Amino acid sequence: MLYLRQILAIAGKDLRSELRSKETVNASLSFALVILLLFSFAFDPSAETVREISGGLLWLVFAFAGALVLNRSFAREQPNDCLDALIASPTSGAQLFLGKCLANFVLLMAVEMICVPVFGIFYNVAWTRRIGWLTVVFALGTWALTIIGTMFSALTVNLRLRELMLPILVYPMMIPALMGAIQLTTVLMTGAPPGPENQVWLRLLVGFDIIFTILGVGLVEIVLVG
Amino acid sequence: MREKLIYLFSAIAAVLLAWDLYRVFMVLPDEANQGAIYRIIYFHVPAAMTSLLGFFVAMVCSALYLITRNLRFDSVAAAVTEVGVVFAAVNLVTGSIWGRIIWGIWWTWDARLTSMLVCWLLYAGYLMLRRAIDEPTQRARLSAVLSIFAFVDVIIVWKSIEWWRTQHPGPVLSIRNGGGMAPGMESPLWWNVLAMALVATSLVLLRMRQEGIRREIDALRRYAHAL
Amino acid sequence: MDTRNFTFMFYGFLAAWIIVLGYVVSIAMRESRLRKELDRVRQMIEGREK
Repeated sequence: MLYLRQILAIAGKDLRSELRSKETVNASLSFALVILLLFSFAFDPSAETVREISGGLLWLVFAFAGALVLNRSFAREQPNDCLDALIASPTSGAQLFLGKCLANFVLLMAVEMICVPVFGIFYNVAWTRRIGWLTVVFALGTWALTIIGTMFSALTVNLRLRELMLPILVYPMMIPALMGAIQLTTVLMTGAPPGPENQVWLRLLVGFDIIFTILGVGLVEIVLVG
Repeated sequence: MREKLIYLFSAIAAVLLAWDLYRVFMVLPDEANQGAIYRIIYFHVPAAMTSLLGFFVAMVCSALYLITRNLRFDSVAAAVTEVGVVFAAVNLVTGSIWGRIIWGIWWTWDARLTSMLVCWLLYAGYLMLRRAIDEPTQRARLSAVLSIFAFVDVIIVWKSIEWWRTQHPGPVLSIRNGGGMAPGMESPLWWNVLAMALVATSLVLLRMRQEGIRREIDALRRYAHAL
Repeated sequence: MDTRNFTFMFYGFLAAWIIVLGYVVSIAMRESRLRKELDRVRQMIEGREK
C-alpha cells in the first residue's frame, strides 16, 4: 500500500509542477495542433485518403508531441540536483519510474484528447462511432509511448548529447507499437470494430506494453543508480 | 592464442565459402520461377542468421555484464553488436536487390522488413550511444540496458513471418516446418551459415583485441597523468 | 529479363562483399591507428619517467 502511495506521490508531484507552469503541455499541444493543421492544407486529402491515413497521422503527431513531454520528464530534475535527491530518497528506482510514467501518461492522454476532436473537425472524420475501442487503443498505445520514452529519458539524462540521442533511440524502439496503434486506429476511424485480422495488432500492443513495463521497472534502477 | 584462433576460423570459413560458392554457382540449377537471382539466398539468409545470433550473444553478454560487472563482457557485447550490424546491413541490401527483381519493388513496409530495419536502427543507435559516453563504466552499464531492450525486436523479427502475412516469403526452411526447398538446395545454405558465423567470430575476436588495446591505452594514460 | 536477372544477382553478391570487406578495411585502419597511439603513449610515459 505504501508502495502504491509513494508512486502516486511522485506522479502527483510531477503533475502538480507541470500544471503550475504548463510550459511542456503548452509546447506539446501547440506542436501537435500545428502539425495537424499543416498536414491538412499541405496535402488537402480527400475523404477516403483521410480515412486511410488517419491512424498514421494521429500517431505520428502523438509521437512527436509526446517526445517533448517525455524528454522533459527526467531532464526537469537536473537543476538543483533534484534527481540525486529523488534517487537518495527511500523510494526505489522502480517507484520513481512508475510515478513519472503515470504522470506522463496523464499528460499525453490529455494532449491526445484535445487533438482528436480538432482532427475530427479539420479533416471531417467521424471518430465517435467506436469511442470505446478507440479509448482502449489510445490508452495502450500511449502507455507504450510513455514507458519507452520515460525509460530512455532516464537513460539519456546524464549524457551531453541528450537531445540528440533520445529521438534516435526512442523512435525505432517504438515502431512495433506504433504500427499496431496506427493499424487499429485507422480501422476504428472507419467505424468498423477490430476484426479477426486485426487481432494480431491488438495482441502486439498488449504484449509490447507488458514486456516493456516489466523490463523498464526491472532495469531502471540500474540506469539511474548504477 | 587468439591470433591462432582468428587465422584458424578465417581459414576454415574461406574453404567452406569457396566450396559452397562453387556448389551454388556451378552445380545447382536455376530455380523454376525465379531464375538465377534466387542464389542470393545463400548470402541473404546466412547474413540474417549470423546477425540475429550475434544480437542474441550481445544480449546475453550485456546481462552477464550487469550481473558480474566484468568489463570483458561489455567488450564482447560491443564487438558482437558491431559485427551484427554489418551483417544485418548485408541482409537488408541483398534482400532489397532480390526484391527488386522478384517483387518489382526495392522496399515494402511489411512486418519482416520493417522489424529488420528497426533492428538495424536500434543496434546502430547502440553503437552511437557508446560513442556518446566517455566514461567506461557508465558506457557499459547504459549500453547493456539498451542491448537488452533492443533484443525484444530481434524476437519480433524472427517470428514476424509466422505472426503476420508478409510480402516476405513465409517459413521455408526445414527448421521452421516450412514448405521446404528442393533437395540439395538447402544444404549449401546451412554450410554458408556456418561459414558466415566463422567469419563473424573472427571479426569479433579482431575487434575484441582492439578493445583490449584501447583499454591498455586508457590505463597507460591514467598512469601517465599520475606521474 | 534473363540478363537483368543475372546482373542483379551479380550486384547482390557484389554488394554483400563490398559491405563486409569495407568493414574489414575499417577494422584494419582502426588497428593501425590504435597501435600508433599506443606507441605514442608508451613513449610519453618513458619520457616522463626519466
